[in-house]
Amino acid sequence: MAQTEKFVLNMGPQHPSTHGVLQVQVELDGENIIGAKPVMGYLHRGIEKLMESRTYQQCVPFTDRLDYVSAMNNNLGFCMAVEKLAGIEVPERAQYIRTICCELNRIASHHVFIGSLTNDLGSATGMIYAFRDREKILDLFNIICGARMTCHYIRIGGVIADAQDEFIRKTEEFIDYVPQMLDEYDRLFTGNEIFQKRMQGTSVISQEDALRFGMSGPNIRASGIPYDIRKIDKYGVYGDLDFDIPVGRTGDNWDRYMIRIGEIAESAKIIRQCLDRMPDGPFMAKVPKVLKPAKGDVYHRVENTRGELGFYIVSDGTTKPYRVHIHRPSFINLQALDHMCRGMVLADSVTAFATIDPLMGEVDC
Amino acid sequence: MGTYLELKYLEELKHSFASMEFDSQQPEPHIYVGSDDLLGLMQRLRENPVWSFDRMGNITSVDYKEYIEMVYMLYSRRFDRWVTVKCRLDREKPVVESMTQVWPGTEFEEREIYDLMGVEFLHHPDLRRILMPDNYTAHPLRKDFVPLQPKIEGGVLTWHKQKSSS
Repeated sequence: MAQTEKFVLNMGPQHPSTHGVLQVQVELDGENIIGAKPVMGYLHRGIEKLMESRTYQQCVPFTDRLDYVSAMNNNLGFCMAVEKLAGIEVPERAQYIRTICCELNRIASHHVFIGSLTNDLGSATGMIYAFRDREKILDLFNIICGARMTCHYIRIGGVIADAQDEFIRKTEEFIDYVPQMLDEYDRLFTGNEIFQKRMQGTSVISQEDALRFGMSGPNIRASGIPYDIRKIDKYGVYGDLDFDIPVGRTGDNWDRYMIRIGEIAESAKIIRQCLDRMPDGPFMAKVPKVLKPAKGDVYHRVENTRGELGFYIVSDGTTKPYRVHIHRPSFINLQALDHMCRGMVLADSVTAFATIDPLMGEVDC
Repeated sequence: MGTYLELKYLEELKHSFASMEFDSQQPEPHIYVGSDDLLGLMQRLRENPVWSFDRMGNITSVDYKEYIEMVYMLYSRRFDRWVTVKCRLDREKPVVESMTQVWPGTEFEEREIYDLMGVEFLHHPDLRRILMPDNYTAHPLRKDFVPLQPKIEGGVLTWHKQKSSS
């Protein structure tokens, strides 16, 4: 009689499918997974501690390095928390520019998702298509702030520079191109039978489980829970805009892919509305050079590309924050990894890593 | 942005939990509770359908030099409502009940607090360091933290206290 024996396989930290330096200790019975333990900390830089010895303005560049493929969203989260703490009103034009940049960055981040997912499933071609389109967005960021990934464009009180005509014109061109881009993805990936068979029905997260793990972002929406901070909190100008939240049904890998494709289309819709409505006016509020918020603590959350990103700041009345805590969505979503991998075969674990979309810069902080 | 839990509910809760305190003059009064009553209070907040705080919005800890404060921010999806619960712990030996008993999704965050702040959680399913190396002995987010010196001894990376720089 054939006998099987449990053994532990280390995936990573140097592994092409782990999206950075994540180590996963996969416990195997033959080819079937009976447990997966994520081991992190390889990219731990102590950002929370570093922020305690910097002024509020100097803290903003650190947030770029958290989730480095959607830097604008992180800037926004921190700046809005400080604005709430110090009571700064942001001009309307700045809010529209912020929204445009954040949504562009959301699309760029979903490009990375699609690219790495298809790469993990064995099609390097997909990566090339997704990154070709992501490059267009990075070029837009290059125009507006001179940086491509770690933008540091959104500052406390507004944005650092006004949106030029060239940026607006090229953004419009990009938005016009989005339907054509999605059509191409549909023909290339979504309709691909191998792609579908690998993802449909694998690594299912039910609604109860998604709530139990405290998940957020596209991962919880794929399980059928319309939980989106943009709709709930209506921060910035999101309350005035008309957009839908794509929601999945089963919560399998396929739904998590389709949600992101749906979100790209919705983000394009948001950007189009913002471009139409953007008023003239100042792009930066009057912020004191030496910012000393009153004593107290504040928590503000925004919808990052990966979920609910929150900043908890304690001020002791000086120019430096006494304590900053960052509530990172990828870190919390990663708790579901063990549940997702259980009962799957080893090849499916790679898909599970990819669709949960963790970013190690954010997980390790 | 959501609303904050109303004062009348806070008064109602105060009858059940003797160690609970709040400043009713504040617009959003934080609940301060002793560590003995914490788990009971959290279970009430989670399970009572009047509040139904089904999400741990944010869990963290702050070192105030005299004591360590645990901060729990609970969020109710149904009512779009927040409440902040704080619990002060002894700095020398901070021990508190684990919230994984009420919200299982706080497992990694509590491991992170254990790792970086040195708070011990009772009844936690898997309390190990998560970001720092396993054989590290200090807690970086404490205010009196001094980085340990790495040294390789017999092919193993070990950590040592710095000699006083006098």
